[in-house]
Formats: sequence, C-alpha cells, structure tokens
Amino acid sequence: MSTAAAEHAPGAVPADGIAARARGLTKAYGSGETAVLALDAVDVDIARGRFTAVMGPSGSGKSTLMHCLAGLDTVSAGQVWLGDTEITGLRERELTRLRRDRIGFMFQSFNLIPTLNAAENITLPMDIAGKKPDEKWLDQVIDTLGLRDRLGHRPSQLSGGQQQRVACARALASRPELIFADEPTGNLDSRAGLEVLGFLREAVDQLGQTVVMVTHDPGAAAHSDVVLFLGDGRVVDRMEQPTAEAVLERMKRFDVIRSQSQGAPGAGEA
Amino acid sequence: MLKATLRSFLAHKGRLVLSALAVVLSVAFVSGSLIFSDTLSRTFDRLFASTAPDLTISPKEDLSEAIPSGTTATLPAALADRVSRVEGVAAARFDAEDDGITVADAENESVGSTTGAPTIGTDWNPTSRSPVKLTSGHAPHGPSEALLDSETADRKDLHIGDPLTVIAAPGSFKVRIVGIVTFTTTNPGATLLFLDPPTAQAKLLGSPKAATSISIDAAEGVGNDQLKQRVAAALGTGTYEYRTAEEQAKSDVDQLGGFLDVIKYVMLGFAGIAVLVGVFLIVNTFSMLIAQRTRELGLLRALGADRRQVRRSVLTEATLLGLVGSTVGLGTGIGLAVGLIALMNAFGMNIETSEMVIGWGTPVAAYVVGVGVTFVAAYLPARRAAGVSPMAALADAEIAGIGKPLRMRAIVGGVVGAAGAAALVGCVTSSKTASAASLLGLGVVLTLLATVIAGPLLVRPVIRVLGGAFPALFGSVGRMSQRNALRNPRRTGATAAALMVGLALVGGMSVASASMSKSFDDQIDKTLGADFVVQNGNFLPFPQEVTEAVRTTEGAGLVVRSRFVPVAVRLPDGKRVETTAAGYDPQLDEVAHITYAQGDTAAALASGQLAMDLDFARDHDVKVGSRVPVEFQGGRRTELTVGALTDQDAAEGFGTQGGIYFGLSTLERFAPGGQDSALYVNAASGAGADRLRAALEKTLDPYPQVQVRDLADYKDLVHDQIAVLLYLVYALLGLAIVIAVLGVVNTLALSVVERTREIGLLRAIGLARRQLRRMIRLESVVIAVFGAVLGLALGLVWGVCTQQVLALQGMNALAIPWGTIVAVVVGSAVVGIVAALLPALRASRMNVLAAIAHE
Repeated sequence: MSTAAAEHAPGAVPADGIAARARGLTKAYGSGETAVLALDAVDVDIARGRFTAVMGPSGSGKSTLMHCLAGLDTVSAGQVWLGDTEITGLRERELTRLRRDRIGFMFQSFNLIPTLNAAENITLPMDIAGKKPDEKWLDQVIDTLGLRDRLGHRPSQLSGGQQQRVACARALASRPELIFADEPTGNLDSRAGLEVLGFLREAVDQLGQTVVMVTHDPGAAAHSDVVLFLGDGRVVDRMEQPTAEAVLERMKRFDVIRSQSQGAPGAGEA
Repeated sequence: MLKATLRSFLAHKGRLVLSALAVVLSVAFVSGSLIFSDTLSRTFDRLFASTAPDLTISPKEDLSEAIPSGTTATLPAALADRVSRVEGVAAARFDAEDDGITVADAENESVGSTTGAPTIGTDWNPTSRSPVKLTSGHAPHGPSEALLDSETADRKDLHIGDPLTVIAAPGSFKVRIVGIVTFTTTNPGATLLFLDPPTAQAKLLGSPKAATSISIDAAEGVGNDQLKQRVAAALGTGTYEYRTAEEQAKSDVDQLGGFLDVIKYVMLGFAGIAVLVGVFLIVNTFSMLIAQRTRELGLLRALGADRRQVRRSVLTEATLLGLVGSTVGLGTGIGLAVGLIALMNAFGMNIETSEMVIGWGTPVAAYVVGVGVTFVAAYLPARRAAGVSPMAALADAEIAGIGKPLRMRAIVGGVVGAAGAAALVGCVTSSKTASAASLLGLGVVLTLLATVIAGPLLVRPVIRVLGGAFPALFGSVGRMSQRNALRNPRRTGATAAALMVGLALVGGMSVASASMSKSFDDQIDKTLGADFVVQNGNFLPFPQEVTEAVRTTEGAGLVVRSRFVPVAVRLPDGKRVETTAAGYDPQLDEVAHITYAQGDTAAALASGQLAMDLDFARDHDVKVGSRVPVEFQGGRRTELTVGALTDQDAAEGFGTQGGIYFGLSTLERFAPGGQDSALYVNAASGAGADRLRAALEKTLDPYPQVQVRDLADYKDLVHDQIAVLLYLVYALLGLAIVIAVLGVVNTLALSVVERTREIGLLRAIGLARRQLRRMIRLESVVIAVFGAVLGLALGLVWGVCTQQVLALQGMNALAIPWGTIVAVVVGSAVVGIVAALLPALRASRMNVLAAIAHE
C-alpha cells in the first residue's frame, strides 16, 4: 500500500481557523509482512474554537490519531501541524515543551498526581514551566468548574467526577491552543459524565477553547460540534451538529461493514 | 502453588537482583573470613608442628611481658652437653636467638618488615626441621658473616656480598651477606638473619656461654612425653620450662592466634555489618513486591488459596533468593579468601593458594547466614501478604497503600528507646568503668533498635524540615520529590535505616576518637616537659648504645631514661597483680610534670621505694609507707616501700595497671639487662632546640628504629595510633554505605516501577526528562540525608556517652569533630545523588504512552 504523501502535501501554512491539521498521517506498528496500519494516510483539520469528537469502533485508530496529533507518539509517515508549528520532526525536548505550553490533556483515569492537592495539580504544567499562572483566568476556570472549595484536597479525597473536573481545570489553566480528552467520561457514572461534558462544552462556548475528544459513547459525542468517524485507520465520515441517535445509527453501519468483511475474507482493507 | 511461586520468583528476578547482592555480600564476608582463617591456622599448625624439635628447654618465664622490656632470658649453653647425656636423648643443641634486633642496610635503612613483624637474629644450625634451606652462597663462619632470608633480600634488593649493620642489645656490629636462605614452609612475615653459633651467642646475647633455648631430638623409640619426664628429672623443674613438640607448636600457634583472631574478627565484623544492613534491603524489597502484587495475591486468595499458602509462597520465594545469594556468595567468598591470601603474600607471608582449606563449617555457615537472613527479613512482609483480603483482587488498587497506622511502632519504639536512654543515663552517671561500659553497650543496642523501629515515625517531621526548602528552591519538582519521600514512611524509614546504622557507628567512633586524641594532647601538654623524646615508633625498646650516642650528642643537656619491666605486686588486701612497671632516672621532674597526692618524685624514685596511682592504692588498701612485695622476671623478689601516690588523669595506660614506677637504679638491680624504651632529652643551657634536633637526627642516623620527636611530633605519633582504629571503622562504614546505596537504589527503582503511570502522566503534561530526573534525585537525596541526620544524631549521643566512660579512665576532654560531621552530611547527599542515577535514568527513558497505559 502506498502512502503517497505527495498527493496530499499541502506545503503551505495552515489557513487561519485551523488549530491542528494532519496530512497523509500514517502510523504503522511492526514492519514488513507483519506490519499493522493503525492510521492509513489520514488527512484531518481541527477547527479552532470548536468541540470535535473522534469516534470509531475499537481498533479504528482513534486513540492513535489523538496521540499523534498531541505529539505523544511518533508518526510513520505524513505531517502534523499544531497551529503554525510542524510537530512531526520535532525533537523530544521540543515536543515536551510543546505539550507543556500549548496542549492540555485529560485522560480516562489516573489524571492527577496523588501527592499534590487540587490547586497544585491544576497549576502543575505552569509550575513545571516555571511560569506564573494568569490569576484572573485561573479564577474563572476554577469557578466555572465549581472547584473553589476543593482546592486544598488531595486526589484521594475527591470523587471520580471531581477528579475529572480537576483534570479539566488543569487542561484549561494554561489556556492551551488545543485540549485533548481521551475518553474523559469513560470511568464516570452518567451524571458525573454529563457534568464533565457540560464543562468541556462551556470551555468551548464561553472560554473560546478548542477541544478534541476521543470517545466511543454516542451520547458523549452528541455534545460536540462535529464528529469524525474513524474506521480501519481512515477518516470515513464526518457529522456536523450530531445527535446521539444519528451518531448511534452511523456507528451501527460499522458493525454491518465489519460483519460483511468478516463474511467475505479479503474484501476489507489489508 | 509451588509452580506459581517459581513463576513469580522468575518474573521478579530483576527486582530481586539488589537484594540478592546484599545476601551475596554478607555471605561472601562470612565464608571468606572462615576460609581465610582456616587456611591460616592449618598453614601455621603445619609449620610449627614440622619445625618444633621433640623437646625444647627454655628459661622459665613467670611473668608475661605486656610491654617489651628489652631483656632476653637466657640459660647456659653448656646445658646442651648435660642434656645430651640423659638417656633417651639422641642429640641436643643450643639456640641463640633475639627477636628484637634491627638490621640496617648500607643506607642505614631498616631491612625489616614495615608491618610490625619481628626481625629475628639466630644461630645457623640447620637440621631436618629447619624452616629454611641454604639456596645460594655458603654457611656463615666467623663474626662478620651472615645469611639473610630470600624474601627480605628480594624486597630490599640485597645480594651476597652486601654489608649489613646488626643493631642488637649488646651493641651494633657489621656483617656481610654470604648466603641466602629460602623458606621451605610458610614465612609468617618475619625477617631472618643467621649467624654462626658463637657469633650469635656473643653478639646477640652478649655472652659466649649463653643460649636462649635447648632443642632436643629423642632417641629411637622414646616418646616426647617420656623424654620430657627424663630431662626434667635430670635438670630439675624449678628454673626451666620443658615443652614437647606438640606443646611448643601449640604455644607458638597460641601466640600467633591473637593476630589471627584479630583478622577473623575484623572480617566477621564486616560480615555482621553486611548482614545487618542487608536485612533492611531485603525487608524493603519484599514489602514493595508484595504491595505491588496486592491484586495478584488477592486473586490467589479469591481463588481459594488460604493465608498459610500465601505466606508460604512468599517465604519460598525468599528461600530461593537466599539459596541463590548464598551460592554466589560462597563463590565470591572463596575469591575473597584468595584475594586476602594474595594480600598477605604481598606483605611477606608465603601461603599457597592451593593449600586453601574449605572446612565443612564454611558452606554450612554460608547457607545458614544467607538463607536465614533472607527468611527472617522476608517473614514480616510475608505475614502482611497473607493478610491481603480476597477483596483486594476486585478493588481498583490505585497505588500501594500507606500501610497500617504506626501506633504499634510508636509504642514499641518508645519503650525500647526509653530503656536505651535509661541505660545511657546510667552509663554517664556510673563511676565504675566496667559497669559503665556494659551499660553503654546495652544503651547503644537499645537506642539503635528504637531508632530503627520508630524511624518511620520520624520520617514526617524530619523530612518536612529537611525538604522544607525544596518547593521554594525547585518549584513543583521539589514539592513532588519531598512528598514522594513522605509517601510511605515505612519504606523511607527502612531505606534510611540502612544508612543510619553505618553513620551512627561512625559518628560515635569519631567523637570517641577525637575526644581521645584531645585528651592525650591535653595530657601531653600537661605532663611532658622535655624538649625532645627519642623512641621507637612502635614503642619498642632500643639498645644501650643509642642512649650513649644521645648522651654524647653536642647540645644535649639532661637525658632521662625510661624503661619498662614486668612485675607482680602483692598488695595489702591480699591480691597479686601482674602488671608492667616503669623505671626513671632521678631528674624526672625536669622532663615531666607529675601531680602527686602524697610524696614527690624524689620519694618515688628513692632506692627501695616506689610510686603508685592514688585510685589503685585506695582500691587495694595501700598507703604511703606500705611495704609491697614485688616479683621480677626470673624469680627475683624484693620488698619496696610506697614513697608517693600520684594523682594523674591517666596513670594507667595499656598493660600498666596501677601506674607503678620506681627509680631506674632499683629496676636495674632486680631486672638487669633491659633496654630503654624512651629518652627524654633537654637542650643544654645555651644550645638551641633546633640545633639539638639536627644534631640528634644526625646521631640517630645509624639507628633507623628510633626517631626524635618534639611535643608536636609526639602528639602526631599518638594520633596515628588512634587513627588506625578509626581507619578500620571507616572501612566498615564504606561497606555499610555500599550496601545502603544498594538499598536506596533498590527502593527508588521499585518506586519508579510502582509510579509508572504517574510518571507517564507527568511526562504527557510536559515534565521534561531533566526535571523528572531531578525529581527522583531530590527524593533520593532527602532520604539519604534523613538517614545521615538520624545516624549522626544517634552517633553523637553514643560518642558523648563513650567519652563519659573514657573519662573514668582519665580521658576528660570532649571533642566533637564538626568537620567530619558536616562532611558526612554532605557526603550522604552525594550518596543520594549517586544512588538515584540509574533509577532516574530508567524513569526518564520510559515511553510516555506505555507508561500511561501501564497497569
């Protein structure tokens, strides 16, 4: 399979309004005959100031896409930009700085350092960078997330939902260009999950942030502005203004494709 | 279950490496010391058994010499002829030997060993039992020919034809090397010089008719014991000592035994430290492995394994570790013994590595120590593992727990600590040396135990202070490292304890030795009034010739001689005390300041009188005017009157109980033929001290065994003696630190594994590798410094208490070596940095994504 990066190569600086973009993004695990393609020449644009959800069945490459866009993982081929910066080809140290200063993260679980209290966890990326947090912005974030009276608590003294809110506050605190959330509601009950999704929505609408969320929950995806569907390492569809029902319907079609491809071996992509 | 245990052992083998290393070190020292001392004993047993004649006659020695007096006891050489006529004697010959001579080469340098082994001059009378054979040149004839042993000849590059000066008690004389002898057996390190028999008698013993012993060969069919009876019957039992070959060999081995025992105990001391510190390491490793495997153990329990099975599984794992460690340790121990033997050979002994003895006791001790220590150390963690509930399998165990509250530790630690403190207070207030010393020992052990038990309780308060500045200095990296160190006080406490033990010992010893040095300095300042002291660096006596040479040196004014003699005194309370007395010239007051409780120097040194320490006199009902019967070597007896009682800070040194001294003329009357041990020299009026020193140094040039020292040099000499003790302690400390570093490395490495996800998260949100390394390094430093602070605090208390015990012996000064203490704290921070190198590197190399996904 040829990746044909040249086909996609835009060469130019991304147009304004794009927070991150990938061209011909390919990620292969292993090599030669046994190589497995997690991402197959993906082109994607993440619009600034919007809430993008990435969906797809297990093994579709959605987490890999996020990791590559965030500079956590290396790519096999293709290019990735964050704003004006091409991050493919950056060295480890520059990537670390980029993550610290320009990207915010939320993970499914284990988001917080157990030895630090909530306030210390929230300002950790800035502390690491040796920067003073913007107090006004920080207050706004803390109040928006309703964490004012929890700041002195250690993670072990917080509920799961509260922990994710602290993680959300940390992701927002340094006012990053892009926030990546990897199944942020995966470990929460539905009420706490809704709360967190509400905060991500607010972060976009009221605080003007850009959020990319990986999820497999159609209900969660419904909170986003746009859903990208991944299947077998490719972007197979996108849906503006999604609803839970529409997303669920779209997801069901993956199952059909999958059962078809399983019924006729060799029909699917190698 | 066994299969699961084996799998688990193999799966965790990487994490057990450092624990195994601790076991290996302990076992290596134990088995190495056993092999080494067994080998030495057998070598010497053989040597003495093969070289001792069937029967030896020597002058009776009724008093042992704690301090050499310089006399050589002799018997008539003609005794050999008398003995040879006794029935059952095949042959009898006399020996003329002096083991206190000095032999100098053409450059006036001593050819003797520098390690304190004696230089022995003896007659050349080869028999089948001689330990040497002539390998080049010819036997010595006449007064100016000598044979030298090949090892000394090689070491000093001496050859046949080279001149030597022999400095013996009767006087110096020159010889030429005419032959080289080679040891056919092991050389215990001595330098040997052979002369023809008449020369040996005349020039070493000072009389052509004297001998030091008679060697007798038994006739065919006569047993050694039978021979002894017959010879003793012929000569009488009063004046001579008779030893059969077996008895002689045993007494020779016993004499060497002390030296061999010292080596053995030093080695076992190393082994003990290694074991003690290793225990902490093993306890920590197993505790952490179990904490990490809580879910796995819970699953085992949920699947039906009972507590005993879980415990046994952990203990089996420990036993496996012990077996592997012991086996490797045994091998390492053999290597260590080989190394020690090579080292001894480098010092002039000659031990064949092929002669190495590995007794059955060695492997037994190795496995008992190795497996035993591991088993005991793993027992508590194993119990804890057995306590894991089946629910643990289901719980989302986020991070290894902090453990149970430390209340039990607080109570036990408090009780033991209070008992230890009470013992130390008792030691400080006690006025009897013996009881104070035993209270000190008890106090040291109890307070150490208490600190180890209560260590985890001290982690929070102490590290809050030690790492208090970290957040301000290093930001959130500093804050996280401080809190990581506080995270599991039990673990931090045990890790630091390993370092604490070694540093407490060093702290205590350095305070004690600094106090000793200072006390000696004070005493020297107070008592020594001479411009110069002429003496041997090892405090051995020197020939009369040296004294004469010093007296006639230009610029030398007063010369006061000091000489030691073994005596036994019978005191009014009925006790008989064997000790060493000193004799001085009458002008003692000119060169020393002695404080008298009663009487004065004139009364002390007057003919027929003696002086004694006040406390000793009180203990034995002695008063001024008491008449004290005194026995000298060779059965001479007299009665002396107590003329003065001294009140000195340290009247009693090693082997000089009672601080007895009298006039040198008294000494010469009852113990003639002794040699001076020190000369106190004052400059003549008008002669400058510097010029006198130069003149003395020139005078003493032909006598390499003695040196001139002024007050400052004399202090240095004393300091050096104390320092030897300290070097040994430092070597022990070195080992303790090596193992403690392994412990810190171990804890950090396992913590890093445990915190993989946390590290991944930190890296994901932008912590640079450098910052991560710094975080781990700071945690390591704070743990190490915590151990150092605890250890030094404990050591200071011990040191001050030790000084109080020493004060009972007159060492009143207390000195705290702040320089050493600061250096140790700084050093411990360096230790922390070094220990963190690998774990930090490992943490910073972790793949971010893999770390986040880590379970």
